[in-house]
Parts: sequence; C-alpha cells; structure tokens
Amino acid sequence: MKDGYLGVDIGSISTKGVIIDDKNNIIASSYIWTEGNPVKAVRQLINNLKKDLPSDYQIRGIGTTGSARKLIGLMLRANIVKNEITAHAVGTLTFYPNVRTILEIGGQDSKIILLRNGIITNYAMNTLCAAGTGSFLSSQAKRLGLDVNEFGKYALKSKNPVKIAARCTVFAESDLVHKAQVGYPKEDIIAGLCKSIVLNYLNNVGKGKKIESPIIFQGGVSKNEGVVKYFKEVLNEDIIVDPNSHLMGAIGIAVLARKNKVGHVYNLEMTNVKFDTKAIECHRCPNNCELLRIYRNNELVDSWGSKCGKY
Amino acid sequence: MTKVSFPLMGDYYVPAKFLLNHILKVEVIEPPFISNKTIELGSKYSPEFVCTPFKYTLGTMIESIEKGADTLIQMGGGCRYGYYANVQKEILDNLGYDVRVINLVTKGQMDIGRIYRLLKEIDPKVSKLQTVYYSFLVIKMVKYMDLIDDYIRANIGFEINDGEFLEVRNLMLNDFAKVKNYRELRRLYKDYFWRFKKIKVRKPDNCLKIGIIGELYTIMEPFSNYFLEKELAKNHIEIKRFTTAHYLLFEKAFKIKKYIKYVKKYIKYPMGADASDNVARTKYLCEHGYDGIIHIKSSFCTPEIGAMPIISKIAGEYDVPVLFFSFDANTSETGIKTRLEAFYDMLEMRREK
Amino acid sequence: MDKVGIARGLFYYYYGDIWKFFLDYLKVPYIVSPNTNKEIMMKGIKKSNDEMCLAFKTYLGHLCYLEDKCTYFLVPRIDNYGLDNQTCTNFIAAYDIVYNLFDKKVLNYNINLNKNETLKKGLVNIGMELGKSKKECLDAYKYALNKAREKKSREITINLNKLNSTKTKILLISHPYNIYDDLIGKDIIKYLEKNDVEVIFSDKFDEKITNKLGTSLAPELYFKYSKENVGAIMYAKDKIDGVIFLSAFPCGPDSLVNELVMRKIKIPYINIVLDDTASFTGTETRLESFIDMLRRVTND
Repeated sequence: MKDGYLGVDIGSISTKGVIIDDKNNIIASSYIWTEGNPVKAVRQLINNLKKDLPSDYQIRGIGTTGSARKLIGLMLRANIVKNEITAHAVGTLTFYPNVRTILEIGGQDSKIILLRNGIITNYAMNTLCAAGTGSFLSSQAKRLGLDVNEFGKYALKSKNPVKIAARCTVFAESDLVHKAQVGYPKEDIIAGLCKSIVLNYLNNVGKGKKIESPIIFQGGVSKNEGVVKYFKEVLNEDIIVDPNSHLMGAIGIAVLARKNKVGHVYNLEMTNVKFDTKAIECHRCPNNCELLRIYRNNELVDSWGSKCGKY
Repeated sequence: MTKVSFPLMGDYYVPAKFLLNHILKVEVIEPPFISNKTIELGSKYSPEFVCTPFKYTLGTMIESIEKGADTLIQMGGGCRYGYYANVQKEILDNLGYDVRVINLVTKGQMDIGRIYRLLKEIDPKVSKLQTVYYSFLVIKMVKYMDLIDDYIRANIGFEINDGEFLEVRNLMLNDFAKVKNYRELRRLYKDYFWRFKKIKVRKPDNCLKIGIIGELYTIMEPFSNYFLEKELAKNHIEIKRFTTAHYLLFEKAFKIKKYIKYVKKYIKYPMGADASDNVARTKYLCEHGYDGIIHIKSSFCTPEIGAMPIISKIAGEYDVPVLFFSFDANTSETGIKTRLEAFYDMLEMRREK
Repeated sequence: MDKVGIARGLFYYYYGDIWKFFLDYLKVPYIVSPNTNKEIMMKGIKKSNDEMCLAFKTYLGHLCYLEDKCTYFLVPRIDNYGLDNQTCTNFIAAYDIVYNLFDKKVLNYNINLNKNETLKKGLVNIGMELGKSKKECLDAYKYALNKAREKKSREITINLNKLNSTKTKILLISHPYNIYDDLIGKDIIKYLEKNDVEVIFSDKFDEKITNKLGTSLAPELYFKYSKENVGAIMYAKDKIDGVIFLSAFPCGPDSLVNELVMRKIKIPYINIVLDDTASFTGTETRLESFIDMLRRVTND
C-alpha cells in the first residue's frame, strides 16, 4: 500500500481538497462550492476524492484549513488544523521554494504573504471591507449580465479602463452603476473594475509591504486574466499564476499533515458518520454568548463560542 | 449616601475600590465586568468615530448607574481621552440619568489640590491625613500588583497545572482588598511572590518571546483586546508588556526623556500620549532578543497611528516582525485568531531556520 | 541654492503667511506646493497609514510632491500654547512622523509654550539654521508678525461684516485646513455661495475673543483650535441661521468636541464628515435640504 495525505481547505465560498503522496504529487483533487454548508460540502468533497483515489492508496494524515477549519477538523478527526496563511505559504513553497511574495484574493478576504529564504517574514489580511474580493466580483458580474468566468477575457479587450472608486463595495457599486448608466462601454467598465481591485488591494492589504519577485498570485480571483494583467502593469513585475493556484491552501495543509502524521490509517467512509451542530444562546451572564455545540453520532464532542470558558 | 462608581480597567478596580472605601464615607458600587451588553450599550450612545475605550467606559457607566451609582469617576489623558468625562456626562444627561461625573485629570495634568477639592464635594468630611495615607498605600498596592503580573506574564504560558497562576492571583487580590496597613501589604506581597515562584513551570530556555505595546486602555482591559495575553499564553509564549497603571501614573513623567534619548535616531520630541514610549519600547524589544512585537490599539487612536510608521521602520531595521491590531467594538474574533496563529507559526518557522 | 519646501496643508493654513513673510524678508527661496489635486491626494494616501485622518494624508501628499523640489521641509512641531491650549496629537507628532517617512532634512521648529518654546524662538531657530544672523532673524520675525497680523485683521473684518448680511447666514465650523482645501471643503463653499448663502468661516475671528468664549460653553475644553471654533459659534450665535460642522474622517478632537457642542447649542446644524471615497452628490443633497429648511424657518 502507498501512503496518501488529505488536505481540505474550507473557505466561505468554495471548498477545496487534495490528496498528495509522499513526494507531494497530487493524486486526487476536487473543488466545489461551499454554499453555506461546510459539513455537507466536505461530505461531497470526500466522495469526489474517493472516486479519484487509486485503490492502492491509504490515507495516513488529514489536515484542515480555511475559515471552517476547526469544525471540519473535528469532523474528519484531522491530525493538524492550521490557519490559511501558514497553509498557503507552505503549499506555495512546495512548488516554488524561492517565492518572495504571495498575493491572494479569495472569496471573502484577501491577504499578502512575504517570504524570505523559505519562511514567512510578514503578512497582512484585509482589514477594511470586502471590496475587491471574489464575492464582490461575481455579484458585479451578475449585475452586468456576465458569467464571472468570462469577466477576465472581457477586461482584456479594453484599451481605456474607466476609473472606479473602490475603497468600499458600497461606493464602488454606486460608481459602477453610475458609469454604466452614463454609457461607458461594458469592457471598459469591467477593465476598470479589475484595475480598481488591484489598486485597492495594493493600497489596503499591500500597504507598506515591499513586493519583490518572484510573485505568485493565487486564490479564486487569480483565475481572472484581467486582474492578473493589471497586477503586472501596476507592479511592473512578472506575476506567476500556478494552474493549481486555487488548491494551494489544501496542498499546504496536506503537506503539513504529512509532516505531522501520527501513524494510524484514516477511513474515508464519511457518509456513515452523523455530524450535527446546534447553536444555542447562553443566558448565564450578560455576555449572551452564542454557543455552538458539535455532535458526532449524537455525542457532544466540543462546544465553542463562550467567553468565560465554562463550556 | 453617595454611591460612587468608576469605569473598569483590568483588575485595577480592586485598589480603586479599596481607596474610595477608606477615604470617603460613601458606598462604592463595583462596576460590573465588561460583557457584550456593555459594548452594545456603549456603542449605541457613542459618537460615530470616537475611539473604542469611550464606548466601553460609557457602557460601564450606564451599567453602574443601573446598579445604583449616582457619582462616576473618570480619568483623562494627553489626547482626546481628556474629553471623555465631559461628553459622557452630556450623553448621560440626554439619556435622562441624573449623575455627577468627576474628571480626575484635566488638561493632561493631575492636579492634587483639585482632586482633593473634588473629593470634598463628594464627602465634605474627607480627612486630609487619611487621604494621603491611603493614597500612598494604594500606590504601593498597584506597584505590587504590577510587579507580580510581570512575573505571571513571563511564566503563565508554561504552568504545568492549568489555571494555577490565576487561582493564586485571585486569592491575592482578595487579600489585598482587606489590607489594613503598609506592613501587612508588604508581608502579603512577599508571601504571594513566594507562592508564585513555587508554582511549577516547564519553561524551555529558548521559548518564544513576544512584547506587547500600544494604546493603554486596549492593553490593560483584557476584554477589549479579546484576551490576547491569554491566547498567547495558551501557545506557550513568554509575554512582556510595559504599560501598567503604575508606569502611567508615576514612572512615565520621569522616564520619557530617557526614552526619547534612547531612540534619538528616530524621534526628537515627545509625540503625544504614549506614542514615543512605544517607539522606544520597540527598539528595546528588538535589541533584547524578542521574537516578535504585537502592537494593539483601539480604532482611530490618533497618537498610536502616528507612531505606527516609526515602529514599522525600527522593527524593519532590526528584522523583527510586528503584528498590528486595531480593535473596534465589533472586530471579528475569528479574524484575530487566524492572524495570531499565523504570527506564531511564522515566529516558529523563523526560529527553526 | 537651498530651498525651503512648504506643504499646503495643516499648519500652512495657520502659519503660512507668517512663514512666507519671514522667508521673504530673509531672502530665502522657498516653494509652496500647489492646491491639492487628485494626484497629491493619491500620493498622500499611498504614503500614509490607513487610519490617519484625511487632512494628514493630504498633508503627506503635499510633502511627496515637494520631495524632489526642495532641500528642507518646513514642518513645525506644535505641542501647546500653554496647558489650556493644547493641540491635536497629529500636530505634536507631525515633525517626527515626517522625519521618519521622508529622507529629507526637516527644519528645527518647535512650539511648546509650556516649556518656553515660542513662535519667535521657533522662527529664529529656522533662520539661524538657514545661515542668517540672530539680528536678521529677529527683524524678520517682527516684520512677518506685523504683516501677517495686518492680513489676518483684514480677513477678520470681511468675515465679521458678513454677519450683518441679509442673506441666509451659515457659520462653517471646521479647521482651516479642511475649509480651504480644494478637495475637502471647496466644493461645499462653492455650492453654498452659488445658492446665495453667506458663508462665515470659523477660523477668521479674533482668536483672543473666541478662545475665551469657547470656554464659556464648555469650561474644560483644552484643544486650542477646537476651543476657538466653539468660541466662534458663541460669538456669532445670535446673528446666524445655521451651523455646518465639517470634519475630516476620522478627526480625533472633532469626534468629541463637535459631539459635545452639538448637544449643547440650540441653533440648527448639520454634521458633514468627509472621507476620500465620499462623493459630493451625497453631500450636495444634504446641503440642499439644510438650506431649504433654514429658509423655511426664517420665512415663517
């Protein structure tokens, strides 16, 4: 039997999973929408991965990352649960050991990670609001009657991107509507939007950070050619977009799972396990904490959200 | 009888209550611990872009009034902190509460004569001698608390039996509150220090060390920094922090000149509030082998915003990472945790290389 | 030859005249950055910290503009005019912030009346640093002070005369670096004047009078500029129809002082907070309805 390691990255918009072997080769991968239900999404994800997994592999380690990492970590009994910044850095370093800057724009948040000699030296996550993230892009695509996947190609057609105030989604949206009503061509507006995302990112997350090449751009928005083009233009540097860029977090956490393996073999028969969460409000003190209780096969395994630590 | 209360900041309510109880013939209403309700109340009635401590203290005031207080004591500082008392009084008036708000610090200065006059207003029979005696006693108490906390911060991350430090600390605060005189206080302090030293810790020589700097309220009131120190201790990190009540009230005035001299390569003048202190501390932490620095402040804290570019510059020159947090009353807790986790992952990776 | 760079922001609107007269007299060449434009503001936003106030961001933008055009920066440090007249911490820290953010010599200039550092001393220091004798500097100081005072008193007279106008009168309460900045206050003034409103500026009053009047409304005010703004309201309160509070997001002193004042005065007012993303359309609607309301009241 050969060994495989499962990494799962559960974001707010999409859920990503990979299985790697001892040499960090990807044996199976899957990318699906979270649709607000991480538990359900992970069940489906595991089923997809199982189909792709050659029968001579056994899972020796599981890692989870992303915003639902703790919950899914409990559900899968993962041997490692790590934040997405570390996971992304580790994943990227596996393929690009010399990388200096990682730009990441995901569904709900964006981050920048600076590295030197293979270690993180600095990072930042967006602090102000969701302007310029994937979910904003897709909602604007819908408004303009486009599929988010063609968005980038449209942007490339434009020669004169319009200026769009993009520090905040509310302003950006009203500006966008205004520009569309005034009669600017669609591709110029789209290109302007892509450019404003780049400027907004550099002014917000990338503020005060020295961006040095090699630069790798990842996260869902990295699939948008328009944004990539304007990153290149504004930074005046080459930007690398890996074909697996959307999977980097999952790969990273799988690598970490391999490094931290505990020895036993995991069973991927997820569908049989009953996994529930229940939200209750505690009224023991004025904090009124919202407690989230987690049950596996009707047995309480953990409880989160209390400020006092009683639960 | 007058019922006095005051906004909460960390555990300093113990000496504050002690002092008021001993010098004034009043009932001291202990302020309730800060909870989500406090923040909700505070945010609801605060101006739009005021710094966060305003919201917390306003919330506490309202809760204290609901508990029966009719006289509230507020402090002031070298920035807009000095306006808190005035504006809060105005807001409380408009809400229909008939209370007196007493501002101990005006124009950034502690005027002893004025404070005495204010105390006289509350209780005309206040005795000068008692006031002086107990003030000095309380100053000592605060100093002892700060010294012990310093030791706890460096070691709590490594205790073998969870919760031991806090348990002893609670006993200590209870005993401090019942102290009668200097001698007893000193004896208690020595006893407790010894008890703390006896708590078993497993502390490796090369543990991660992090310094916490920033704006005073956010540093000293754990609720407002989302229990940052607790979170760090959970991850076995030694914590150093400089801002304590004793420092602010009694040491700062003497030390600031020395501090500015220490960082004269970067700054020439005091920069207002605690900005230059934090610039100096950054250099200190960098030169004394700390792995990382966490700078915390409430949103829109002007003096700290001014210090931030200089702090980044110094830390950059020494190649020590700095994590900046700007807390508002509704910052998402998960975001903070993710960034913190990534921070010590990063520090550990740097160590390994 | 050495050139002094003066940024058109913050301090400029308080001391610009006196600086210019002073340097003219000493025959020291200087350059003042142009009115704020989009490019300057973008540069400032890039250079600054996210949470700094809009006025400070703009100020840094002006310095960016001057960076390759002068030898020295003139950035004062203004701590206080006595304990009753302190300034915003941005004014206290500006010198050191600029010193760290730019690779440029900053002229030595400190006002801290509490420690006996006066405007005179500050200017003389600058003059001597630029290689002039002490006597020349003292003469220049006297000359500049008189000239600047004359100019100011002319402006005050014009401003106070507006109080007797028959038009709708609105007192604009703000810091001069907001009022006269092309990208912050100008549109508002233009709009008001176009709509036949007499705009009275809060900074063009005799500061000796307003400073005292300020404390009559709120005795514990200790920020000099806020105090004078409040004093202006007290001075003009019986002659004006309304007040507009204009502040730059997120101004520290204004957040509390304006709140305090708004809760105390009985005159109609609106509070406008400007951010670099705000579009003027929103502000315009608010101004329009405010003027309409004021006129309805006066016509009744």
